[in-house]
Amino acid sequence: MLSALCVMLGSALVFGASARPSKPANSKTGDFARVVQPLISKYCFECHGPKQQLGGVALHSAKDLATVLKQRAMWAAAAKNLTQGVMPPKHKPQPTVAERERLITWIETTLSSGECDLRDPGRVTLRRLNREEYNNTVRDLFAVAIRPADEFPSDDVGYGFDNIGDVLTLSPLLLEKYLTAAEKVAVAAVWSAESHTRQWRFEAENPRETQGGGFISRNVRMLVQPGEVTASYDFPQDGDYVLRVRAGGNGDGTEPPRLAWKLDEVALAVVEVTAPQDAPKLYELPRKVSAGKHKLAVEFVNGGTNPLDRSRRRNVAVDYLEVVGPFLPKPNPLPASHLRLVTATPGPNGSWNEAAVKVLTPFAKRAFRRPVTNEEIARLAAAVELAKREGESYERGIQLAIQATLVSPHFLFRVELDPPAGDPKATKPLGDYELATRLSYFLWCSTPDDELLRLADEGKLRNPITLVAQAKRLLRDPKARALTDNFAAQWLMLRNLSLVGPDPKQFPSFDDELRTAMRTEAELFFEAIVRDDRSVLEFLDSSFTFLNDRLAQHYGVPGVSGTQFRRVNLTTPQRGGVLTLASTLTVTSNPTRTSPVKRGKWILEQLFGTPPPEPPPGVEELKEEQPGELTGTIRQKLEQHRSKPECATCHQRMDPLGFGLENYDAIGAWRVLEGRFKIDASGTLPSGQSFQTPAQLKAILKSQSKQFVQGFSEKLLTFALGRGLTPTDRCSLDTIGQAAAKDSYKFSALVSEIVRSEPFRLKRSEGAK
Amino acid sequence: MKSLSRRTILQGLGTSIALPLLDSMAPAFAGAARTAAKTYPNRMLFLYVPNGVVMPEWRPKTTGAGFELPSILEPLKNVRDALSVFSGLTADKARPNGDGPGDHARALSAILTGCQARKTNGADINVGISADQYAAQLIGKRTRFPSLEIGIERGAQAGNCDSGYSCAYSSNLAWSSATTPVAKEIDPRALFDRLFGNANASEMDESAEKRDRYRKSILDFVREDATRLKAQLGANDQRKLDEYLSGIRQIEQRLAGRVADNREIKAGAAPDGVPPTFDEHVKLMADMLVLALQADLTRIGTFLLANEGSNRPYREIGVPDGHHDLSHHGRNAEKLAKIQQINRLHTTLLAYLAEKLQASKEGDGTLLDHAMIAYVSGISDGDRHNHNDLPCLLLGRGGGTVKTAGRHLIFPDNTPVNNLWLAMLDRMGCGTERLGDSTGRVALT
Repeated sequence: MLSALCVMLGSALVFGASARPSKPANSKTGDFARVVQPLISKYCFECHGPKQQLGGVALHSAKDLATVLKQRAMWAAAAKNLTQGVMPPKHKPQPTVAERERLITWIETTLSSGECDLRDPGRVTLRRLNREEYNNTVRDLFAVAIRPADEFPSDDVGYGFDNIGDVLTLSPLLLEKYLTAAEKVAVAAVWSAESHTRQWRFEAENPRETQGGGFISRNVRMLVQPGEVTASYDFPQDGDYVLRVRAGGNGDGTEPPRLAWKLDEVALAVVEVTAPQDAPKLYELPRKVSAGKHKLAVEFVNGGTNPLDRSRRRNVAVDYLEVVGPFLPKPNPLPASHLRLVTATPGPNGSWNEAAVKVLTPFAKRAFRRPVTNEEIARLAAAVELAKREGESYERGIQLAIQATLVSPHFLFRVELDPPAGDPKATKPLGDYELATRLSYFLWCSTPDDELLRLADEGKLRNPITLVAQAKRLLRDPKARALTDNFAAQWLMLRNLSLVGPDPKQFPSFDDELRTAMRTEAELFFEAIVRDDRSVLEFLDSSFTFLNDRLAQHYGVPGVSGTQFRRVNLTTPQRGGVLTLASTLTVTSNPTRTSPVKRGKWILEQLFGTPPPEPPPGVEELKEEQPGELTGTIRQKLEQHRSKPECATCHQRMDPLGFGLENYDAIGAWRVLEGRFKIDASGTLPSGQSFQTPAQLKAILKSQSKQFVQGFSEKLLTFALGRGLTPTDRCSLDTIGQAAAKDSYKFSALVSEIVRSEPFRLKRSEGAK
Repeated sequence: MKSLSRRTILQGLGTSIALPLLDSMAPAFAGAARTAAKTYPNRMLFLYVPNGVVMPEWRPKTTGAGFELPSILEPLKNVRDALSVFSGLTADKARPNGDGPGDHARALSAILTGCQARKTNGADINVGISADQYAAQLIGKRTRFPSLEIGIERGAQAGNCDSGYSCAYSSNLAWSSATTPVAKEIDPRALFDRLFGNANASEMDESAEKRDRYRKSILDFVREDATRLKAQLGANDQRKLDEYLSGIRQIEQRLAGRVADNREIKAGAAPDGVPPTFDEHVKLMADMLVLALQADLTRIGTFLLANEGSNRPYREIGVPDGHHDLSHHGRNAEKLAKIQQINRLHTTLLAYLAEKLQASKEGDGTLLDHAMIAYVSGISDGDRHNHNDLPCLLLGRGGGTVKTAGRHLIFPDNTPVNNLWLAMLDRMGCGTERLGDSTGRVALT
C-alpha cells in the first residue's frame, strides 16, 4: 500500500505515467465535496453506495475528510483498486484518465497527510525467531558451532523478507524440530555422563537380533540344555560399558542355573540366575570394551537334571541381552561452553536445587532476553530434579532445563507485552529489554549481548542517544555481517542465485564457481558500504567493486589473478553499483534469455520502492517466436507487446529501464550483439528523459537520490520492524530520509534514524487506533 | 515380558523393500482380535503439479472404460486398472473473482481448500482448511503422524511471490486452519529421521522411552509457559500462541501413541542429503512415503512436486528453460513439446509411486487397492491460466469403494473439484456436508 503511494507521490515525475500535484488543494474538506463526491457517486455508488454495498464496501458513508480518515483501510483499498485498474470493473463506465488520477491523488495524499500528528507507531505481531536468528542466537548463547536450524522448514517470506511476524507461522513439524534441536544444543553445550550413553537391546526371541540354542517360547528363548544366546554389536568407541541380561530360571534343587558371559568367545564371568522363570531379573556385568564389532553371548553352563531326582531339571529363560554405554570419564578440561554455563555444581550431599538456581538464573535471563522471575527459575530448576528422579546426573538435569528453555515460547518468540489492560494511552514506549532485543535482532539477527542487557538493566536504552550509540557499536561488530546474510541477501535477491539454472548450451561458462563468485562480490560490496560507512547512494553507482580472477574474466576486467577477492577500482563505466552486479543481472533473467521486464520491475520495486501494478487479469505474457511474428531481439518483441494499450502504461515504466541493461546477457556478461542483432540499449522514460547506454541510464537514476533513499529506507525499516509498512509510516520515512541527508546518507545515519524513529521505539496497543 | 516381536528392520531403502509387516500387524490396525475378518485402513494422498499441463496430451479421447492412454498418461500403463481420469472439474476459488492477477498462488491455495485466498503479502494470510487436514484432524490420532506433508522445493527465499500474494500461498498445499499453512518437509534425511528416528538404528526402547518421558515433561513445562503468556497478549499475538499450543498437542498425542503401540519400525540406511536431480529426489521421498504407508505411520499425505509457478529447469530431460516461463507457450510447438516432456516426467514419477504401492501386498490385495492417490494441478492450461477442466486423476481403489477405476469420466463444466475431495473424505470415514466451495460429492460409481 505504501509502495503504491510512493509511486504516485514520490517518483511520479520520473517513473510514473504522468506528473501529479504533490499536495492537494487548500481545503481538503472542500475537496471532498467538490472533487471526490461527484466522482464516486458517478462511478462507484451503483455497487458501493446507498442501494447496495457489495463486499461490505460503503463508500457513501464518508461525508467529509474526518470520516475518510476514520475509514482508512477502505479508502486505501479503493485507491489501490483504482491504481491497478481493478475498479470500476471493466464492463462498467470508466472514469477518464484524469478523473482516475484526481481521485487516487486525493485519497493517497489525504491518507498520508495528517498521519504525522496521529503518532501511530504501528504494531508488530509477535515474531518467532526465523532460521538464521535461531542459529545465531544459539551460537551467541552457548558458544557452540552448530547450526540446528538448518534442518527447520523454510520461513515464509512476506514484504520481501523472512522475518515478518505475521508470516512466520509455527507448524507442528517445526515444533518437533525445536524439540530435537534443543536436545542437540544441550548436549553440545553441556557435558553429562549420560549424553553419550545409549542402551541397545537384543531380544532373545527375535532371530534378527540374536542367535542361539533352545527354543523360542512366547517372548523368551528357553534353554533346557547347555547352549547360548548370542548377539553382535558394533561398539561405538572404547570405554566402560555395562552388559546386561534379563533372565529367570528353575534350579534342580541343588544349584541354580548359571549363565556365563562371553565376549568374542572368551568367558568373562558366571552369573547365578536365582530369579524364578516367572519373575525374571536383570543381571549386570560392568566391562571395558574396545571400539568395533564384538560378539556377545551368555552361555547356559550347567544345563541338566538333578542326578537324584531326574524330574527336577535346570533350565533358564533369557528375555534379552543389553549393552549400556559407553560411560565416558569426565573430560579434562570440560568444554568451554560447559564451564561458562555450569557455574555451580552440588557437593556430594549438596542441594541440587540450590546449584541449579545459581546456574539457571543468569542463563534464563540471557535466553529470554529479560530478567526472569523466581517462579520461572523454580520451574526450570524442577527440570533438573527430573533427572534426579530418573537416576541421572546433575549435568543431565541442566541439559533438560536448557531444553525446556529453548522450547519455551519466551525463547522462541520475541515477546513484547502490550500496555496493561485499561491503559488509556493508545501507544507505549517499548521497555529497555524490548529495545535491546529489537536492536540486536535488527543488526545482528541474534540475541542481545551482555552490554545491551547491562544497559537495559540500568534503564538507559530508552534514551535515544544511548540507543543510537549502541546501534553504531553493533554495526561495527563482526556480527553485523548478519545484515549482509539476511538483509542484503534478500534485498538483492542473492538467495535466489542458488536456484537459477542458466542454459548450459547458451552459457557454457556458468558453473558453481562463477555462481559463488557472483554472490561473494555482492556480499563484499554491501559489506564495504556498511563497514566503511559510505553513502547508500553508492549502491546506485560506485567506483569500486570486489573481484577474483574468475569474475574479472567474466567482466573482462584485466589484471586480476588468483582466486581470492580483492577490491578493484573500476576504470570504465561498464560496472559499478548493484545494478550491474552479475548476481543482480542473473537473478532477473530467465534460464535462456534476459528479461528486460523483470530487470525493470526489479529496479522499480527493490531499488525505488515503486513497484508497477500487477498485470490486469487475462493479459497474456510475452510470446516468443510465434509463427508469422517478426523475429528480432527481445526488445523488438517487447515493443510489439507494448503497443497494446492495456499493457502500455506499466510497460512504459518497466521496459525502458530493462532495455538500458540489455548490454548485459542473462548471466551478466557484457555483450554488443544478441544473436545476429546489434544490442540497442537506448530508452526513454515516461518523464521524457532518454539515454543511449547503461551508464547514461545510471546517471538518470542517480539524479533520483531522494526517491532511492526513500525506497531503500522502506526496505530497511521493514526488515528492522518485521512488519509490512502502512501509509502511517510515511512520515517516519520522510523524517528518516531528511535526517540522513544531513549526514550524507551514510549507512549508519540511516540506521540511526530508523532506530530513533517512533515505529522502532514505540508500540501501539492492540485495538487502539 | 513385553511383546516386541513386531520390531522390524527395513532394509535397502530406495531399492527394494521386502516388508511382511502389515499382515502380522493387521490386528493392531483393526483394533480387533485375530479372529475378526481383517480390514485394512484406507489411505489418501494428494499430489500436486504446478503450471498446468498440455491438455490435448492429457485428456483421453473417449470416455468410459478402455480409453487409449494419451501421451502424458502413458507412463501409468502398468497401473491403468487402478486409474480413474476425471475431466471437467474446476477450482473456482483459484479464479480472480475480483482479486486481479495471482493465478498461481490462488491455484495452489484453493485446490484442497476450495476457498479464496485473501490477497495479502503478509499480514492476515487467510484461506481455509484443506481436505487432507480436515481428515487428519478427525482420524489422524489413529496413527503416529496425523498426516505427512512433503515437497521438493523450499518456499521462496527472497523477493515477492505471486502478484501481491504471500509466498505461503504458492508453496503450501496443506492448511490446518484458514490461517496456518502446514510446512512441508523437503529434505530426505530430515524426513527419514522424522519417520524412523534419528538415533542409531539399533537403539532400543529404554533410551527412547526415557527420551519420550523427558520430552513429555518438557512439553508440560512449556505448555504452561505458553498458556500464561497467551493470557497477556492481544488477539493477533494469541493466534501465534495457538499455533504453538496445537503443535504441542499433536506431539503429545504422538508420544502417547508411540508408547502405546506401533513404535518398532526401524528403517535401514538413512539417505544422505538431497539428491542432485529432481527425479531422484522425488523417488527418494516417494520411497519413504511408501514405507510410512506400509508401516501405517500415517494414512494421509500431501506431496507438492514443485511450488506453484515454479520456474525450475528440467535439464536432466533436456529442458533447460524454466517451467513457468515455458508454460506461457503461446501455442508454440517447440515449447509445447518441452512442457509435455515435463508433464510426462511428473506422471512417470507418479507411476513410480503407484507401482511401488501396487507391489506392496496387503492381505489379499495390495496397498494401492487400499489407497486413493489424487493427482491434480490447479491450473489447466498454463498459457491461459484457466482453472476449469483441470487435469485430475485418481489412482487406487480405496478399499474397493472407488468403482471408477479404469475409466475416464467427464463431469459437467464447473463441477467443484472439492466435490471429489468430499467423495474421498467419505471413504476415509470423514464424511462432511461441505468443504470450501463443494456443492455435493461426485459419484465414484
